[in-house]
Amino acid sequence: MVNFLQHTFNGLVGGAFLALLALGLAVIFGMLRVVNFAHGAIYMLGAFGAYVLLTEVGLSFWWALLVMPIALALFGMALERLLVARLARLDPLYNFLLTFGLTLILQDAVKSRYGVQSSPYDAPAILSGTLDLGAFDFPAYRVFVLVMAVAVCVGVWWLLSRTRVGMVVRAATERPELSTALGIDVGRWVTPVFGFGIGLAGLAGVLAAPIRAVNPLMGADLIIVVFAVVVIGGLGSIFGSVAAGFAIGLVQAWVQALGEDWALLSQVLVFLVMAGVLLWRPAGLFGREEAPA
Amino acid sequence: MRTKAFVMLCSTALLASACGGGGPKSDAAGGGLSDGKVVFGVLNDQSGAYSQLSGKNSIKAVELAIADYKEKYGDKAVVKEFGVETADHQNKPDVANAKAAELYDRKAVDVILDVPTSSAALKVADVAKEKKKLYFNISAATTDLTGKSCNKYTFHYAYDTYMLANGTGRNTTEEGKKNWYIVYPDYAFGQDMEKSFSAAVEAAGGKIVGRDAAPFPNTSGDFSTYLLKAPTLNPKPDVLGTMQAGAELVALVKQYNEFKLRDKGVGLAVGLMFLTDIHSLTPAALAGTTYTDAWYWNHDLTNRAFADRFKTAAGVRPTFAHAANYSAALQYLEAVQAAGTDGSDAVVKQLEGKTVEDVFLRNGKIRAEDHRVVHDAYLAQVKTPAEVTEEWDYVKILRTVPAADAFRTPSPDCKL
Amino acid sequence: MLRIDDLSAWYGEAQVLRGVSLEIAAGEVVTLCGRNGAGKTTLLRCVMGLHPGQRGTVELAGRTLSGQPAHRRARAGLGWVPDDRGCYATLTVAETLSLPPVVGPSPWSLEQVYDAFPHLHARRNAPSTTLSGGEQQMLALARVLRMGARLLLCDEPTEGLSPLLVAQVGDILRQAKQHGVAVLLVEQNLHFATTVADRHHLLAEGRVVESLENSEVAAREKDLLAYLGI
Repeated sequence: MVNFLQHTFNGLVGGAFLALLALGLAVIFGMLRVVNFAHGAIYMLGAFGAYVLLTEVGLSFWWALLVMPIALALFGMALERLLVARLARLDPLYNFLLTFGLTLILQDAVKSRYGVQSSPYDAPAILSGTLDLGAFDFPAYRVFVLVMAVAVCVGVWWLLSRTRVGMVVRAATERPELSTALGIDVGRWVTPVFGFGIGLAGLAGVLAAPIRAVNPLMGADLIIVVFAVVVIGGLGSIFGSVAAGFAIGLVQAWVQALGEDWALLSQVLVFLVMAGVLLWRPAGLFGREEAPA
Repeated sequence: MRTKAFVMLCSTALLASACGGGGPKSDAAGGGLSDGKVVFGVLNDQSGAYSQLSGKNSIKAVELAIADYKEKYGDKAVVKEFGVETADHQNKPDVANAKAAELYDRKAVDVILDVPTSSAALKVADVAKEKKKLYFNISAATTDLTGKSCNKYTFHYAYDTYMLANGTGRNTTEEGKKNWYIVYPDYAFGQDMEKSFSAAVEAAGGKIVGRDAAPFPNTSGDFSTYLLKAPTLNPKPDVLGTMQAGAELVALVKQYNEFKLRDKGVGLAVGLMFLTDIHSLTPAALAGTTYTDAWYWNHDLTNRAFADRFKTAAGVRPTFAHAANYSAALQYLEAVQAAGTDGSDAVVKQLEGKTVEDVFLRNGKIRAEDHRVVHDAYLAQVKTPAEVTEEWDYVKILRTVPAADAFRTPSPDCKL
Repeated sequence: MLRIDDLSAWYGEAQVLRGVSLEIAAGEVVTLCGRNGAGKTTLLRCVMGLHPGQRGTVELAGRTLSGQPAHRRARAGLGWVPDDRGCYATLTVAETLSLPPVVGPSPWSLEQVYDAFPHLHARRNAPSTTLSGGEQQMLALARVLRMGARLLLCDEPTEGLSPLLVAQVGDILRQAKQHGVAVLLVEQNLHFATTVADRHHLLAEGRVVESLENSEVAAREKDLLAYLGI
């Protein structure tokens, strides 16, 4: 039982990363109808940025946690203005290809400067111990990651559902043309929303730096899983992407804990779930059929 | 460039008859050198996960070997002209296959070196066999290179899964850590390592109390499930044996420390580790971890002298793969020198059964039966941060595994 | 209030509006009649600024709207009541009402809206797409009244509604008219149109082919119905 609880908790921590990344992707897709392939590379930049801030500027993890998401959000906004916006009127495939190309450029840029080997990065000393959670001990840093992720998700939920800004963003996301006709300047929200989604990916990257291998390719494989999570949750569904992120984290942890005989399943699990969900509900668990324009 | 122009000239129909004898594809069976020079082909990963542990710096190692050969033989040298060609196989078997053929055929390469990634390494062995050209594998681990996939022109130089398992698995078990939990990446290398380790541990009287195949590639970079599971197994494992490599190893070790498994009585044994991995993780993250090393740069003064030269050329300390590339290039040139020709069969004849001492090979012998190059291996332990006094000097050698014990006996599967 | 001058519009190569001109005074209700494909909805979309391929002039209260994006036109005083009623799955009824900015001098307050539409008050916390068709139509109208829009662009507000609800839509439009709000109404229901409108324009193949005072309609009802293909 304790084992089960431990694996469950651990699954939620794993899910926290997926949820943060999926949330950013969903926010961007909802508003811009752009599938941001570069999300994984941004996650990598978040982690790498934390490393660079530490080694070259001397800023601690806590500063990185503050600085990197903001810096990347600004980077995202510039990116949207300079590149993404130019392709917005064309087939969404163009922006997908743009962000795909950008991924390769970002990865190679980091690779050429820092090499492919992983860079060392440690959790802050205050979180390097374990925490007694009653039934079991757990690494304090992971508890912190979970708390942060939940706080961010709740914060985003509050922002979207309880504030005027959130209402406007929801309206602009769901029916951009109608919202324009009702006096909402939808275009004004595109850039900040894109930046916000990018900032979330950067945050996930900073959080990952102390416990995962920090290298130029760290986001390359992960992004595929996050795409699957977003599809499972329902493309563009904010709640769906977060729920699916945590759910996939949980199920993955449980299946991995089953042992060697289930190894193959744990590898393809996400994609099996995705296929199943798509057959059952083509728009994803919490997705809606595309509203008429 | 001159070679290229020359090759192009030759390939034109008009001049074909005129220079056919000196063409790059001709084998100097009758003595002398094909196209008057020896060309090395360094084929490895130059941009991906293994580009630090060998990569472009392996070319520097080969250049050092050429310099040493020139200095040793001076005017008596059979080989007067040298070339070093290189290609990036991206760790992909199909790319390795195509690049190997290109190196042999179009770049006039006489011997291919390095080739990390077992699946790619095996493909290149096939090409070497087909083209009847020499191939020294340095950085791949699979024992199939000297087993069912062995051939007359392929030599396996630095290490293999048996050496790693036998060193780390047997020694750790004999030290009293009898219960093992093995986590391995679910692909050819990992499965091979798991089998080798299980066999070595059990042969030494130990027991595998649990094993898990982690997804490969591990998309999330997370191994926490296995780390949570380790202390709950019954009986509790004394040691967690990880067969992960490169970035996955880095992630797993980070998380091993995070979950405080050492404090919970579960030690760490690493299947395959390179100096560059320790550099990535910092010695602090790995302090006390034991593993098997094929060579260590600061083990003795000979090694250190080589490492100093290498650092001048490449800017970093050499991994064992770099040293082995140097050694392989040097031993190839020695064999050409002895044979008086770079004809493949004559060189193979010189190499087979030869005993060698050089900076990399200690008590080295090039086995004629399966072309396994055996030599002393080392049981190494990562220093604590307090013990580290010099950059890149992260390891102390606990003991030497004698060449006779370090590698398996020739496999009956191998028919050259 | 609204002046449209020589308005033409295209879908790609196909021209759907050919030099339409019309004017609407404050407090006036004007309908656009015509068969499907005559260009009625396109005309509304052009006025709203939602149709990219257009040429000509649109002025609201003497200010030109041409070339302005839709949200600016809305802020200038246009109230958009689309044919699909424009509800949101992710917004509640109350949010849908408060979403658009106030754009005119005499907006309805939320209390006024809820007094006039008690159903909306009862369902104020429900997602707006979960309302019945009639309730959605009331919501769409209430929303533009709350904006204080000076000109309503209504695309078939009575379509699919029961006679009782149709009458209620009529009441709302007449009430708006009394407050000086102008209405450009696309309507297939000729009978309903005569109960609210002052003038009617008949649209065919992208042109205004006939304009009638409401008083003239009764005499020519047969012709008109034939024209509309009813």
